[in-house]
Amino acid sequence: MTAAKTQNTREQLTSAASTEVIIEFNRVNKWYGDFHVLKDIDLTVHQGERIVVCGPSGSGKSTLIRCINKLEEHQKGSIVVDGITLNKNLKNIDHIRTEVGMVFQNFNLFPHLTILENLTLGPKWARKMTKADAQANAMVYLERVKISEQADKFPDQLSGGQQQRVAIARSLCMNPKIMLFDEPTSALDPEMIKEVLDVMIELADTGMTMIVVTHEMGFAKTIADRVIFMDHGNIVEENEPGKFFNNPRHERTKLFLSQIL
Amino acid sequence: MAIIKPTKRSTIAPPLSETSPVGWMKKHLFSSTLNTLLTFVTLFLIYITVKGLWVWGIADAVWVADSRRECFDISMDGACWAGVIAWLDSIFYGRYPRDELWRINLGILLLFVWMAPLWLPRVKAKIYIGLTTVFLYPFLSGYLFSGGDKGIFMQLMLTAAIVCLAGNTIHATIGVFTGHSLPEFLPRLFGIKDVQEKTLHNMFFTLIAVSFVAVFMWQMGWGVEKIPWTKWGGLFLTLVISGVGIASALPGGIILALGRRSKMPVVRVLSTSFIELFRSVPLITVLFMATTMFPLFLPEGFVLNKLVQVIIAVCLFNACYLAEVVRGGLQTIPKGQFEGAHTVGLGYWQTMSFIIMPQALKHMIPNIVGNFISLLKDTTLVSIIGLFDVLGMLRSISKDLPWLGLHREPLIFGAILFFLICFVMSKYSRHLEAKLSTEHKN
Ligand SMILES: Nc1ncnc2c1ncn2[C@@H]1O[C@H](COP(=O)(O)OP(=O)(O)OP(=O)(O)O)[C@@H](O)[C@H]1O
Ligand SMILES: [Mg+2]
Repeated sequence: MTAAKTQNTREQLTSAASTEVIIEFNRVNKWYGDFHVLKDIDLTVHQGERIVVCGPSGSGKSTLIRCINKLEEHQKGSIVVDGITLNKNLKNIDHIRTEVGMVFQNFNLFPHLTILENLTLGPKWARKMTKADAQANAMVYLERVKISEQADKFPDQLSGGQQQRVAIARSLCMNPKIMLFDEPTSALDPEMIKEVLDVMIELADTGMTMIVVTHEMGFAKTIADRVIFMDHGNIVEENEPGKFFNNPRHERTKLFLSQIL
Repeated sequence: MAIIKPTKRSTIAPPLSETSPVGWMKKHLFSSTLNTLLTFVTLFLIYITVKGLWVWGIADAVWVADSRRECFDISMDGACWAGVIAWLDSIFYGRYPRDELWRINLGILLLFVWMAPLWLPRVKAKIYIGLTTVFLYPFLSGYLFSGGDKGIFMQLMLTAAIVCLAGNTIHATIGVFTGHSLPEFLPRLFGIKDVQEKTLHNMFFTLIAVSFVAVFMWQMGWGVEKIPWTKWGGLFLTLVISGVGIASALPGGIILALGRRSKMPVVRVLSTSFIELFRSVPLITVLFMATTMFPLFLPEGFVLNKLVQVIIAVCLFNACYLAEVVRGGLQTIPKGQFEGAHTVGLGYWQTMSFIIMPQALKHMIPNIVGNFISLLKDTTLVSIIGLFDVLGMLRSISKDLPWLGLHREPLIFGAILFFLICFVMSKYSRHLEAKLSTEHKN
């Protein structure tokens, strides 16, 4: 009995991340005009941690993760990513851009380029890889998301699920330290959701730091080290998945879970 | 996506109206009494017009004569094309010395040679070919057309242009036959296989450097006689002005459009006011301003000739119009494309040149070509400020003693000329549009 319990804790320890902090939010505030989207956000993410963010529509989930790679700018507080404080310094932005990958709800692949070109553009220009290296690198990741045979097609010739897997591969090609996912499966037909989630689970197994905005609670239970619930620009509750789903502390979390589960 | 195979044979034949010409006519021309009546009236009008034109312009026309008087003697109410034919050289080349016309013809031929690879299959790096056309060809043709002493700058640019033209042509020939680019093909020439990309580049640049030096030495040995711009004229001058205008308006327009969308307030305000200023003034005003105002701003002793002033004015004017076309095109690109580019680490200029512009340009082609057509036609305004472009030439026929008063034929000829050029341009733009929109959809 006790042996089983220690076994259990050890497993959690290995899945939980190292102690090195990779993202740190410190009293971050953001406004869109007069609208207060993020209110005093404090958040610490360790290297290798997998975090799922959920919450009602308009609660600021996308804004939160888009602040991490500087797609959005925060106005108050500080964000430190990979040891670099995000500010107006252009050099820093360049660095963050190459270290943080992002996958969007509607893929944002480049429609005028082939899949292979989609994957090699970043490494060639931002990582200064040679063309041959970039292509070899791209094929490795296409292999990993299981669509290497589509390399010469154009994005609109693929299904939604395939496109999203290409988008994941495109980010991985940059060899990022952190991967952000903004509702990666919500634009997909139900039968394609699984193929994308499978790829993400495999990625989680490699120890990648991941922050995923999603309403796929099954997925959250499988991979998350922590689940964060947001509402009206606040982080309302933050807990490991077991406790989060089984006995949420806040009324709002309970209400939300009862609506989506 | 489901693939629906067309069935081999449909069981019901399509109605008559869809297939046979008779059916089509019944449906579209004679469907009702009124429609039938209209059809006949229209046919009658077309008949009268065509018959009149035919009799005047072809059947009763005079093709060979020495003066307008002679034309009248031969045929009282036919067209006198002899006048146009006698002036044909002037209509095309203005008062350019007749012994030097080969330079213009060669210049035009070289332009075709330069651009031909753009239309050939299997040729790589077409972007570079296009860019060199815009940036280097003008120096080559500029020297051919104007001649005279080459300054050191001109010598360098001329050499660059010649090396580039030769390189392009060889590259394209290799491309068509082997599907490789010139740098990829080089090592094979020496029987080397499996070379590093770096070595490839080094070989290529060595080759370029060596040929640059060789061509530079060679070009020092010859030159062509100077021909002052005042002798330029006719269709040639029209094409020079509008050609430079077209080539510089697109890059200029892109820069202005990006400036107008810039986050930096100074750049934005400057671009916006510049664009709005030029767009709210007619071209003829800009031309007058250019020829009378530019000299006031220039440092003393520095004289710009009228042609250069006109060309600068035309370029600025059209850049401003194209800036708005480009801005419209940029707005069709969803925000997600910028964000996608951001996440793979591309910077502003990389995003613009690899992701945004290629997609936006596709949407802009019809508008760009439309702009070019109106630019070509607007160029005729320079005849008002005293340059003898094609329209100026056509009109001076009627002042030439033997052909005094011959207005109609030259102008009709000019109309046909412009129609042909513009029609070809617009047809080609349609073709380009169709080609680009289906290119990757097998
Ligand atoms: N560019 C913007 N300008 C103004 N308001 C914005 C902008 N982007 C988002 N908002 C507002 O900010 C709030 C938070 O947006 P956000 O996209 O972060 O929500 P979300 O939690 O991701 O919601 P969803 O589940 O719908 O994606 C919303 O009310 C939205 O209307
Ligand atoms: Mg969102």
